[in-house]
Amino acid sequence: MGRLNEKVSYWMLVAPALTIMIVFYILPVLGIWEIAFTEPTTGVDNFVKMAESSAVKTSFVLTFRVAAITTVGCLLLGYIVAYSISNFANKFTPLMLALVILPFWVSVLIRSFSWIVLLGRSGLVNDTLRDAGIIESPLRLMHNEFGVLIAMIHVMLPFAILPMMTNMRGISDAYVKAARGLGASEWTAFWNVYFPQTIPGVMSGALLVFVLSLGFYVTPALLGGGRVLMISEYITYQIQEFLNWGLGSALSVGLLIATALVLLIASRFINLRSALLERK
Amino acid sequence: MTDTTDFEAKRDIADIAVERYKQGRLTRRGFIAAMGALGILPALGSKVSAQAKEIVVVNWGGTAKDVLEEVLAETYTAETGIPVVIDGSGPSAGKIRAMVESGAVVWDLCDSGAGSAIILEQQGVTQPIDYSIVDKSKVLEGTAYNNGVGNYIYSYVLATNPKMLGGNVPQNWADVWNTKDFPGMRTFRKSVRGMLESATMAQGIAPEEVYAVLDTEDGIAAAIAKFRELRENIIVWGSGSDSQNLFLQEEVAIGNIWSTRAHLLKDQMDEGSFQVTFNGGVMAPGIWVVPKDNPAGTEEVMKFIAHAQKPELQVKWLELLGSGPINPAAASMVPAELEKWNPTSPENLATQILYNDEWYAKHQIAAEEMYVDALIN
Repeated sequence: MGRLNEKVSYWMLVAPALTIMIVFYILPVLGIWEIAFTEPTTGVDNFVKMAESSAVKTSFVLTFRVAAITTVGCLLLGYIVAYSISNFANKFTPLMLALVILPFWVSVLIRSFSWIVLLGRSGLVNDTLRDAGIIESPLRLMHNEFGVLIAMIHVMLPFAILPMMTNMRGISDAYVKAARGLGASEWTAFWNVYFPQTIPGVMSGALLVFVLSLGFYVTPALLGGGRVLMISEYITYQIQEFLNWGLGSALSVGLLIATALVLLIASRFINLRSALLERK
Repeated sequence: MTDTTDFEAKRDIADIAVERYKQGRLTRRGFIAAMGALGILPALGSKVSAQAKEIVVVNWGGTAKDVLEEVLAETYTAETGIPVVIDGSGPSAGKIRAMVESGAVVWDLCDSGAGSAIILEQQGVTQPIDYSIVDKSKVLEGTAYNNGVGNYIYSYVLATNPKMLGGNVPQNWADVWNTKDFPGMRTFRKSVRGMLESATMAQGIAPEEVYAVLDTEDGIAAAIAKFRELRENIIVWGSGSDSQNLFLQEEVAIGNIWSTRAHLLKDQMDEGSFQVTFNGGVMAPGIWVVPKDNPAGTEEVMKFIAHAQKPELQVKWLELLGSGPINPAAASMVPAELEKWNPTSPENLATQILYNDEWYAKHQIAAEEMYVDALIN
C-alpha cells in the first residue's frame, strides 16, 4: 500500500512537466518527422535529396566543426576559470560565480549584437588597434567563421564552467596534498591525481556545449555574414525562403540523428551515466 | 524616414509558397501551415465586410501604408468623394486566393508582384484589367498583364561607397568582380533574385541577352561560378534592412541592393560616401491585382487604378518611398536632385532590364541550391 502511494505521488509530481513536454514538444517533433517523410511526396525523397546535395553536406561538416572548436575553446578557458574558483578564490568566490552567471541575464541576441559592435570593421576593436597604430587597415574579425567562434565560445562558456565547477568542488584536496607530500611535483600532482578526478565534469561540460552548439542559430546567423551557414540556419532558409517544409524537416531529423550518433559514440568512451547524472 | 517593413521579401515568401503549391510540391495542408507560420492566415476574416462604396486597397504596411494613404487615398477621396481604406496586412497571393475561394472578398485592390499576378490569373481568382479605363500607355512596357498592371518599380542596383574606395568606384558589374582594382567587401542578396543577372553581366554579356544566357544550364553554371570566385569578398544580406546596415556600418563598400533601400541610404550616409548606378540594374515591378467579386465593383477599382497612374502622384511616391514611377511620363516631373535616384528615368531605363518572372518560375529552385553551395562550399 505504502509502495503504491509512493508510486502515485511520484507520478503526480512528474505529471505536470511531463504533460507539457508531451503536448508542446514530443508531439510537434513527431509532426516534424511526419512532414519529413510525407511532403511533398510520401517516402524518403527528402533524405535522398539531402544526401545528394553538396550544400547540405558542407553545412553539416561546418556545423560539427564549429561545434567541436567551440567545445574545445570553452573547455580550455572554462577549466581554468572553474579551477581558480574552486581552488583559490575563497573571498571572491561569490563574486566570480556571479560573473559567470551574469551573462545568462542578457539575451543571446543582445550578446551577439554586442559582438557586432566590438568586432565590426569600424568597431571598437578595430578602431582601437588603428588609433594605436598597430594596424593600417581594419582586420576582418566578423562575417566569417572566426567571428562566429569568438561569439559562440563567449555564449557557451558558462555551460562549460558550471558543470566542471560543481565537479571540482566535490573533490577533496587531501589527494593532491598527499601526492605532494609523497614528493610529486606540482604538475604531476595535478595531472596524475587531480585532473583524472575532474574528467566527469569535463565530459558533461563538453557534451552540454557540443550539443547546444549544434543547434545554435542566432549567433552564426548574425556574425557569419551568410557564409557560415549552420544547419539550423539552413533549415530556416529552406522553410522561410522556399516554404520547403519537407526538406527543412528532413534536415532537422538528420541533425537529431547525427547528434544522437555523437552521443552514442561518446558513450563508448566515457560513462555518460556518471558524467551526466551522478555528478558529485 | 525609415521603412522597416521588408515587404518585398515577405511577398517573395508568399509568392514562392503559391508557386510551390501550384507545382504540387507543397500539399494543401503544408501550404496552409506555411501561410499560418508566416502570420498570414489569421488575419483573414478579421474584417467581415467592407462597406459598399468604399475602396479597400491592400499593401504591405509600414511607411508604405502611410504614403499610400496620403498620396493616393486622400487625393482620390477629395476628387470623387469615395472613401479609400488602406489595409497594410500584406496581400500575399495565398491570402488573395483563400479569400476569393472562401467567397468572403473584402479587398478591392492588392499590391502584388508579377509572379503572383500570373499565377493568380491561372487560378482564376483575379479580374482582367479594363484597359479602356486604365491606360496601358501609362505603364512601363512589359508591366501590363491581362489580370494585373504595374504600379511602381524597385530595382536591384549597384551601390557603392566612394569614400571607402578612395574615389575609385566600380562602374559596372565587371568592376565589382575585379577585386584587384576595387578591394573590399561586397554584399549580395541571400537569394539568386537579381543576383545571377549581375554575375552574368559581369562576364561581359549584354543586358538584353542576360535571360537568354541564363536559360541554358551553362549560363547558370557560369553565373554561379562567378560567385564562387568572389565569395571570399562577399557578405550576404537577408533582408532589406540588412543591406542598409552593412552600408551604414561601413562593412561593405560595394553591393547589389534594392533601390528603395538606396533611397534611404542616400539620406543617412555622409555626403560623398554613397552612390548608386542603375547601369546593369534589374527592375522589378509591383503589380496591382483585383480579386474576383471585389465588393466595390470592377469599374470603381479600375477608376482608382487610373487615378494612381497620374504622374504627379507617382513622383510624390518616389520622393517619399523611393519606389520608381511606373508611368514613364512621370520622369520629366521628378525634381532635379532626385532624377538620378529614379529607377525609371529615361537614362536609367536605358541601362536596366526587367526582372523575368518566367525565368524564376523555371529555374529558381535549382539555382538557389547551387548558389548556397557556391557561397559556403
